[in-house]
Amino acid sequence: MTQPIPLLDGPFWPYLALLLFAFLPTEIWRWLAVAFARRINADSPALEWVRAVATALLAGVVAKLIIAPPGALAALPLSLRVGALAATLAIVLFDRRRVFLAVLVGEAVLIGGGWMLSQAA
Amino acid sequence: MSVSADWSWQRTTLAGIRDALSLPAWVVGFGLVGVGSLARDVGYPVDVAVLSTMLVWAGPSQVIFFASIAAGAAWSAIALAIGFASLRFLPMTVAILPLLRRPGQGIAMQLLLAHYVAVTAWTEGLRRLPGIAPHQRVAYFLGFANACMMVSAAGTYAGYYLVGALPLPLAAGLLCLTPIFFLASIAAGIRHRGDLIAMGLGLALAPIFDRLMGSGFDLIVSGLIGGSIAFAVRLIGARRV
Repeated sequence: MTQPIPLLDGPFWPYLALLLFAFLPTEIWRWLAVAFARRINADSPALEWVRAVATALLAGVVAKLIIAPPGALAALPLSLRVGALAATLAIVLFDRRRVFLAVLVGEAVLIGGGWMLSQAA
Repeated sequence: MSVSADWSWQRTTLAGIRDALSLPAWVVGFGLVGVGSLARDVGYPVDVAVLSTMLVWAGPSQVIFFASIAAGAAWSAIALAIGFASLRFLPMTVAILPLLRRPGQGIAMQLLLAHYVAVTAWTEGLRRLPGIAPHQRVAYFLGFANACMMVSAAGTYAGYYLVGALPLPLAAGLLCLTPIFFLASIAAGIRHRGDLIAMGLGLALAPIFDRLMGSGFDLIVSGLIGGSIAFAVRLIGARRV
């Protein structure tokens, strides 16, 4: 488990952790944009690189949540988790506007598969 | 719906709320249900989950936060990963502010407007704001964005309690909502081959570096490597054309 920083430990730790390690690193970019909006070129190659890194990083979060999933999700087999993700991805890559449908189908694969496995057991 | 230039700010705000509730707010709210479930899973209180939606207002940051705590990552690694994942807000905010800026607008108002910049309010804002008279845009945008945020806060709250109350396949479905929704939004935002490569490499490299390194920095390293390769491929491809 991620340990609280001893000096700041207490019932308020989750709130403080949220402010320090989630709110600040996110909000800082919105603030900087307000401060420097007139001097930043939104199409510069550096920002294009940042976008590519952020995309890979987010895809990495998805992969980690599927490979080493939290709680109840870990009870379902890996093949089913990957299958649900693959179904979603296939639909969106086929038609970019079908995000909602893709999410529903991915969920249906996962929940339907999980239900069938629990019936078979 | 279209906004008439002579509408009062109240009516314009309502139009923004109505447009959000016509679909976008439900899509974001649906996506943040899983964040509530994740927060419950790491044992954080429900108000931290709901506050994360209202303060952080960025699904990816919230998921990295709760999922990394579950994985036992170092705090410095969590903050760094969230910082990198949120860097996209800099160009996004820079792009939308000119549409919302008014003469005499204070810095506090601009910071407030910038806070609502996240994928949905941003894409919808860029699409809808140019068709609205400049003096009505702030009222419309705040109505739209706040409606999205309220629905999402309710979704996060619901996700927190639902995950423990549902039978196994459904609870697993709630927890899987986050990765599924994320991958769908990443894939929907792909504009060229570079984005596709970045997504593919991110999916492939993260589990590998997770084995090799652990401790949370694996996410940043795989993002940096995968993103840089995708960027290089895109640069070379652009030069050839």
